[in-house]
Amino acid sequence: MNLLFLVTLFPLLGAVLLACFRRMPVNLAAIIGVGSMGLAALTTAWLGLAFFAADQTPYVQHLWNWVAVGDFRLGFDYRLDGLSLTMLGVITGVGFLIHLFASWYMREDLKDQTGYLYTRFFCYMNLFVFSMLVLVLGDNLMLMFLGWEGVGLCSYLLIGYYYRGEANAWAAFKAFIITRVGDVFLAIGMFLIWVQFGTLDIQTILIEAPSVLAEGALLTEVTALMLLGGAVGKSAQLPLQTWLADAMAGPTPVSALIHAATMVTAGVYLIARTHVLFELAPFTLELVGVIGMVTLLVAGFSALAQTDIKRVLAYSTMSQIGYMFLALGVQAYDAAIFHLMIHAFFKALLFLASGSVIIACHHEQNIFKMGGLAKQIPLAYACFLVGGAALAALPIVTAGFYSKDEILWLSFASGHTVLWLGALFGAFMTSVYTFRMIFVVFHGKANLHAHAPQGIAHHLPLVVLMVLSTFVGALITPPLAGVLPELEIDAGHATQIAVEVLAAIVAIVGVGIAAGLFLGRRRLMTSLVESEQGGRVWRFLHSAFGFDTLYDRLFVKPYLLVARLHRVDWIDALINLFPGLAKLANYGLSASQNGQMRGYAATFVLGATIVVAALVLG
Amino acid sequence: MNLTLTHLFAILPLIIVGITVVVVMLSAAWRRHHFLNATLTVIGLNLALASVVWVYFAGQGAVAPDLASSAVGFPTLVTPLVMIDGYALFYMALILVAALACSTLANAYLEGLDEHREEFYLLLLSSTMGAMLLVSSIHMVSLFLGLELMSVALYGMAAYTFKRRVSLESGIKYMVLSAVASSFLLFGMALLYAAYGTLEFASLGLRLVFEDSVGIWTLIGVGMMVIGLGFKLSIVPFHMWTPDVYEGAPAPVSAFLATVSKVAVFAVLVRFMIMSPTFDTKLHTVIAVLAALSMIVGNLLALGQTNLKRLLGYSSIAHLGYLLSAVVALRAGVTDGGGELSFTGQLVLETTGIYLATYVLTTLGAFGVVTLVSSPSRGQDVAQLHHFRGLFWRRPYLAVILTFMMLSLAGIPMTAGFIGKFYVLALNMNEELWWLAGTVVLGSAIGLYYYLRVMVSLYLAEPGEIQRDAAHDWGQRSGGVMVLIAALLTLLFGIYPQPLIDLVQAASPVGY
Repeated sequence: MNLLFLVTLFPLLGAVLLACFRRMPVNLAAIIGVGSMGLAALTTAWLGLAFFAADQTPYVQHLWNWVAVGDFRLGFDYRLDGLSLTMLGVITGVGFLIHLFASWYMREDLKDQTGYLYTRFFCYMNLFVFSMLVLVLGDNLMLMFLGWEGVGLCSYLLIGYYYRGEANAWAAFKAFIITRVGDVFLAIGMFLIWVQFGTLDIQTILIEAPSVLAEGALLTEVTALMLLGGAVGKSAQLPLQTWLADAMAGPTPVSALIHAATMVTAGVYLIARTHVLFELAPFTLELVGVIGMVTLLVAGFSALAQTDIKRVLAYSTMSQIGYMFLALGVQAYDAAIFHLMIHAFFKALLFLASGSVIIACHHEQNIFKMGGLAKQIPLAYACFLVGGAALAALPIVTAGFYSKDEILWLSFASGHTVLWLGALFGAFMTSVYTFRMIFVVFHGKANLHAHAPQGIAHHLPLVVLMVLSTFVGALITPPLAGVLPELEIDAGHATQIAVEVLAAIVAIVGVGIAAGLFLGRRRLMTSLVESEQGGRVWRFLHSAFGFDTLYDRLFVKPYLLVARLHRVDWIDALINLFPGLAKLANYGLSASQNGQMRGYAATFVLGATIVVAALVLG
Repeated sequence: MNLTLTHLFAILPLIIVGITVVVVMLSAAWRRHHFLNATLTVIGLNLALASVVWVYFAGQGAVAPDLASSAVGFPTLVTPLVMIDGYALFYMALILVAALACSTLANAYLEGLDEHREEFYLLLLSSTMGAMLLVSSIHMVSLFLGLELMSVALYGMAAYTFKRRVSLESGIKYMVLSAVASSFLLFGMALLYAAYGTLEFASLGLRLVFEDSVGIWTLIGVGMMVIGLGFKLSIVPFHMWTPDVYEGAPAPVSAFLATVSKVAVFAVLVRFMIMSPTFDTKLHTVIAVLAALSMIVGNLLALGQTNLKRLLGYSSIAHLGYLLSAVVALRAGVTDGGGELSFTGQLVLETTGIYLATYVLTTLGAFGVVTLVSSPSRGQDVAQLHHFRGLFWRRPYLAVILTFMMLSLAGIPMTAGFIGKFYVLALNMNEELWWLAGTVVLGSAIGLYYYLRVMVSLYLAEPGEIQRDAAHDWGQRSGGVMVLIAALLTLLFGIYPQPLIDLVQAASPVGY
């Protein structure tokens, strides 16, 4: 257990090495970048064994005192318990596979985009993993916030990895600025917690919360709301969701690691970690569920009208995290974390497979320009089938079925009927847009010639993730007992089966509808889109409900207007008065320094006379 | 007079410097050899420095011959004129370090002269000896003796490159104005002697303490002494000579002037004010006004300055202004009820020591760079800002050092200058001298502008024409090594000032 620090040390070392020796050979950079992750994953496996051998007792490792000023004390403490171990497993396990895949992918990608450093990519990736690990291991909110900001930074750096493309730079700005809005809320939340608790230590807060915070009081609600603000920003939920789709400007492994499998789940982790605060704030807790439901519906509709393969996946990520938020809202915390883990598996699989498709199709990302790829790249096809099936939660064989249906069942059983209906409709949408994508990309007429990718670094991650996305992955049970409370359910077993069967039917029907609409010549869809009303709806969905335009009108334009109004800054003019005065005084005084000694002597005597006079007369 | 071996050991640093003067004089008379005489000077100064350390440690625990009552340190009174105590030894060490630095700088600089290079070291050593006498003096006579010994040699040094008109001019200006100042100082002493019949600081202090209200002649006497010493410290309005002399004198001499003479005079001023305290609000208000004026006027004058040596001269006016607020803090004396050193007294001594030490380091570094660029001397010194334009692209390390020195002068954290400025502000706060503290802040804000201006010019694109530049191997020459050490110490004390603070705390004057 005392090896806990190693799990963060390896990626950090990797990042430092890669940053220091920027011109190292590509192979060496790959070995360092992927190897550090492999070591971290091995450490995690060892930690997992030790954790279960020690009967799942939480373990805290105090590394050093971080801040000690008066009563304000912060330790650099890592905490290993069921929740952080689960996150650890996802981050290092899935992270390792993605790194491995990336070592292949970036080599291919950089053939067309010359002039970018291979080492820089892996440096950022390793640094990202380090930050994410600090985020989930940190035993106090400040340390968690360090990781939180670290992942934000790395996300920015990686989205803008191809910094010569202007759109990429803007996308990176957008992600950074919008998540910053959330971070400000989180910081305010931390201030509020500090004021009320006098500590930022998470465990102390959780234990003392019932006695410190009044349930349902305004301040309690505001505190929880601020934390939610942070979570919403990082996890790309309404209303701070607009950055995620643009974040796809980064290389595909980045999208897989950061914008699907790990970072965007930080908000889910935050709420699960501080769930006691949310339970004391019923309104906010309810809001968590509602935000989740609305986001999953909005994202589901938006995904239907996307043409870029990565944007489809981005919206699906948003909607799946919506499910997790919904689960958190109905206090089904372990269902949320379970779905987080399963989602990491299949979403990483889908993103990596899409990366494979993109490389195979010579950097084509528009799904309508693909088509008929099933025969040309069978491995990617298989990945998409398995991953898509898990995303759509097709019954029995897929992992997604077990995790998502648990959320559906628990939302039903806990009496949140509206949320349940929304989630059920979302499940239907999910299978429609998922299989729309699969049918469009892999079936029908072949529009271009794809070459099948080769190499163990390409195949291995895909195959492993494929296995994990089937029911095999669902056999892993996160050891969350004792960390997160279980939801008490009094509904019967028969009802549960009925609800699950209903969900299964919905998913299958979705596939059927997708098949009807998008297999073959797609005449119905074409005519729908080409009609005036249909086109308008399509554009509305394509722009993801026009949130970008809305925010542009609501925030960006007024902000720029205010900035323009302040171009002539009267405060500045006022302040500039002082330099002017100083300059004037300088001219006056400099004139006295004329080099004439008699003047100097006279000044001396005059000054002396005044001094003596002041002493005598004053 | 009863001189024993103990006394002679105590004044060993002074004796060694004195012997070195004679040796260098004889050696120069025997054979003109620049390197030999420079080496002899450096050896003498180093020996003196070593003897300072030796006296400090050997004297500790030894019974003081004349002042048996004092338990702290090893004060030795050598004749009624000279007191060798921790205070004197600390400032002697500081003076010797600065003199060493100046002689290494001068060595490279003088290479450019055709003849009479050797006499410079005579003057430098004599002046150093005067400064050392000054910091150990507790008597008006030794004060005046030390001051004149230091200054007279300095006139010669300022005018040393007399073929340049400005150098000669600066020497003459300094001499004539110094004479005026010295007459004020003498007159002040005379007034005090007339009033009390003593020239010793201590007995003067005893008489002053028992006086109910300070008499008008006493006030004028102390005031005139402050005027005389204030001239050497270039306190406004006695500052007019500073820029001209700094600019005209050869760069190593300017460095000497800015460090050794300032340290010595300020140290003796503080000692005088401590030993002969005048508890009169008028006097301290006047000093406070002079301090504030120096801060503001010094910084304002430097704003448009394009000559680095003049700029450093103006900056020294401001810095001495900051430091003078330490003298204002002496308005209530340095002892508490029981005769022990009060907190204020402790703070004043620490502020003085630390500020002077950091100021010396920084000034040496800054003038050192100017000297290195101007060495070996050929006509005018290279001190115009446009000469330094783009220095970073030619001599990156020198430019970084100069940048760092400017930061230190501006009092930016991580530099020694910050520690000094912090002490000054802390002292002002502690003494509740709010308006003076405000003036320090205002002065620093103005100062930042011209320090930054110097820095900016270092990193601009190089001008087209070929400039004179420091030698390629400046880092391997003694002057270059000295500048590097100054820069490193400035950084070290900026980050970890504790050793310096410990040193200054150990250097308390006799009786406290």
